[in-house]
Amino acid sequence: MTRREVLRGGLLGAIAAALPAAAAWERTAPAQALALAPADATLQAFFDTVVPGRRVARTVSGAVVHPGAIAGADPDPGAVEADALALAQHPRIGFDALAPASLADLELRAAEQGGPFLALAFDARTRACVQGLDFGNPLRTVWEAAAAVAFTAFCGGAISRTQTRADAPGWAVMGLPGRAPHGYPDASYGRRLARERTRKGYLA
Amino acid sequence: MTRRADVVIAGSGFGGAIAARRLADAYARAGEDPARIVVLERGEGFAVDSFEQSMHIDHLSRVYRLIQGQGMQVVTATGLGGGSNLYLAASLRAPREVFERRDRRPDDGPDRRMWPKAISRATLDPYYARAERALRVRRPSWDQVSRSGGVWAALCDAAGHTCDRVPLAIDLDRCVDAKWCHTGCAFGAKNSLLTNHLAIARRRGVTVEPLREVQSVRQSSARPYRYVVTAAVVDAATGRPTGGLEELECKVLVLATGAMNDAPILLRSRAALPSLSEHVGRHLGSNGDHLAAVELDPGRVRDVLGLPGYAEFHEGKPITTMTYDFWAGRRRDGTRFTLQEIFLSPLTGILYDDGRGPPGDPSWWGLQKKRSLARWSHRIELLAMVEDTHDGTFLPVPAPHGGAVRPNGGPVEIGTFTYELSDQSRAVRAAADAAMRAIAERSGVGRFLPMTETEGVYCAHPLGGCRMADSPDLGVTADDGEVFGYEGLYCSGSSVVPTSLGVNPSLTIAAVAERIASGLVRRGADLGLPLK
Ligand SMILES: Cc1cc2nc3c(=O)[nH]c(=O)nc-3n(C[C@H](O)[C@H](O)[C@H](O)COP(=O)(O)OP(=O)(O)OC[C@H]3O[C@@H](n4cnc5c(N)ncnc54)[C@H](O)[C@@H]3O)c2cc1C
Ligand code: SF4
Repeated sequence: MTRREVLRGGLLGAIAAALPAAAAWERTAPAQALALAPADATLQAFFDTVVPGRRVARTVSGAVVHPGAIAGADPDPGAVEADALALAQHPRIGFDALAPASLADLELRAAEQGGPFLALAFDARTRACVQGLDFGNPLRTVWEAAAAVAFTAFCGGAISRTQTRADAPGWAVMGLPGRAPHGYPDASYGRRLARERTRKGYLA
Repeated sequence: MTRRADVVIAGSGFGGAIAARRLADAYARAGEDPARIVVLERGEGFAVDSFEQSMHIDHLSRVYRLIQGQGMQVVTATGLGGGSNLYLAASLRAPREVFERRDRRPDDGPDRRMWPKAISRATLDPYYARAERALRVRRPSWDQVSRSGGVWAALCDAAGHTCDRVPLAIDLDRCVDAKWCHTGCAFGAKNSLLTNHLAIARRRGVTVEPLREVQSVRQSSARPYRYVVTAAVVDAATGRPTGGLEELECKVLVLATGAMNDAPILLRSRAALPSLSEHVGRHLGSNGDHLAAVELDPGRVRDVLGLPGYAEFHEGKPITTMTYDFWAGRRRDGTRFTLQEIFLSPLTGILYDDGRGPPGDPSWWGLQKKRSLARWSHRIELLAMVEDTHDGTFLPVPAPHGGAVRPNGGPVEIGTFTYELSDQSRAVRAAADAAMRAIAERSGVGRFLPMTETEGVYCAHPLGGCRMADSPDLGVTADDGEVFGYEGLYCSGSSVVPTSLGVNPSLTIAAVAERIASGLVRRGADLGLPLK
């Protein structure tokens, strides 16, 4: 087995162990948190390290952002504003099952940088995450799953209701309009741009 | 009570839809009622107008299954029509060399042609032609090539390479270039299976039962009935099994649930089907999928390529151009690849390194990555399809249901397989990276963004797991799709394909399925079907 396989085997085990918790989560259906639990504030800080953004008090859907979560490293909206936390808590994602393992390891790495994660500056948060996402970390795949949530919220617009950049801040940053109800009338350069090898588009 | 049918077809993608339609045609010709042909599909019973331009997690849950395995992430579809609802409709015949390949993993048996003797490009060509007619494949004109495809063609041209327009299963007069093929076309412009084979099969009277997930197969002794299929009833609202089970007894069973599901069903049924080949669940492949992206400098696009600029990654058809220059003329198996321009979905933004140093800095996440995402509209995405070996193996004990562990009603599943790239699979991917980088970065037009190592293989084209071969010591089915040792039990679709194809696989899957279906129709009377 390669090192990579061992790591991925570890994840499989971790997820299998967490499945009953995921099922329980599905039964209870999450209530919109009125105030943020400490773990959620830390998760927001993690999402902001993965896809950094501007400081905001509310996400695009109006959910609370912990005042210390966003480091403000980038002037444009980031994953927190794009509701990464709500996506993590969404019953069809089930990240809650992995959150405890992910947060425990996050705080372990943060301690080496001198902090609880939430209290660290952006650069120190980044260093902690570099370590967490290192191939040498046996829990790396749990971190990858957490990072994937940030990107799915930001690049995927996964809980945007309008599916336009109006409530998908990631798409606004990327320059993607979202839905295209009429398509695009002028989507081609309209001329031949290369010599072609084949007559029909496929090789003999 | 166990219901009875002549034929049960599990799955309604290319393998299933083509079997259903061709059998229905034969029943109609024989004046028989095709209602005794039953299609079981685990997902929803979609119609052509079921699709939205939406990446919302609820819509993704209805149409996608994203399987996270050890060493490979696989993107697959669920619901009536299978992958044809989400696919980007690139419809290509595989090059002749594919069928002659002898390269394979070092532990994969004696030196031989990897495809069964009876199958070559020449013997498959009539079935390719049939598949192209049914799927209404057309080649776009240069006016219909998207800007992203145009930039790729211009980059290839500037580097001295050829670049071809890609034939598509899209109604080019109807297509409005929305680039939302990946969640199902909302304009009815894509020629999905719902618009052809499945529509015809239904019109003829084939029974289609959505929300039925086939779990296992056992043998029946009530000849001419041969198999009993057990299916879990799926709840429409949650997409989860209700706990209810149904049984169907049939004369002929066609497993067409795709490469990620056929093998797990057979592995689960192994005790009841003891003569199955040892190769069930082995040789899972990725079709050599290898993604990358290029971030373009719009000024250099103007100055060097002579185009009016580029910021329209999100417009047009999602696949329009590709180059064969790294395939044609190469004699050695295992070294060839093609390079195609593609748009899979905005979510693939996660997959690429930002391409900058210094080493030790985060490259696929963090501040630089974020800034690179801010230039997303200046990107193109590339899919290399390389001659790799089939490097995956399903675990001997499959998930309790379906093809993978599904922790909730969402799109993400945990795959019960391992994927470990062979030396060849790595080397040919590295060669593809070098070729893409050289074309992209020539004269400073673009910056190459390689696939991050994090993700392992990222694949939308899983193949194999029940590969066809000339004998049971080399594969699971014969070249006609029949499972060795089990009369009337067939696999059809991606699961039987023994090698990567160098091009997007659906047309080859369709051609192989056409060939399997015509063999099945020919043998129908012997198998107890009411056909002459
Ligand atoms: C986003 C995307 C884009 C793609 N673009 C292209 C492209 O441009 N060109 C190309 O050639 N290929 C493309 N592909 C790949 C192509 O779609 C697949 O190769 C093809 O659909 C495989 O056909 P199949 O019949 O083997 O399986 P599928 O099409 O996957 O069909 C299998 C069906 O079986 C159902 N099923 C699964 N398990 C069970 C069960 N236990 N019981 C009952 N039903 C079950 C599934 O829900 C599904 O409907 C794309 C794929 C994706 C996901
Ligand atoms: S690009 Fe064409 S086929 Fe694809 S979703 Fe848009 S209109 Fe439909």
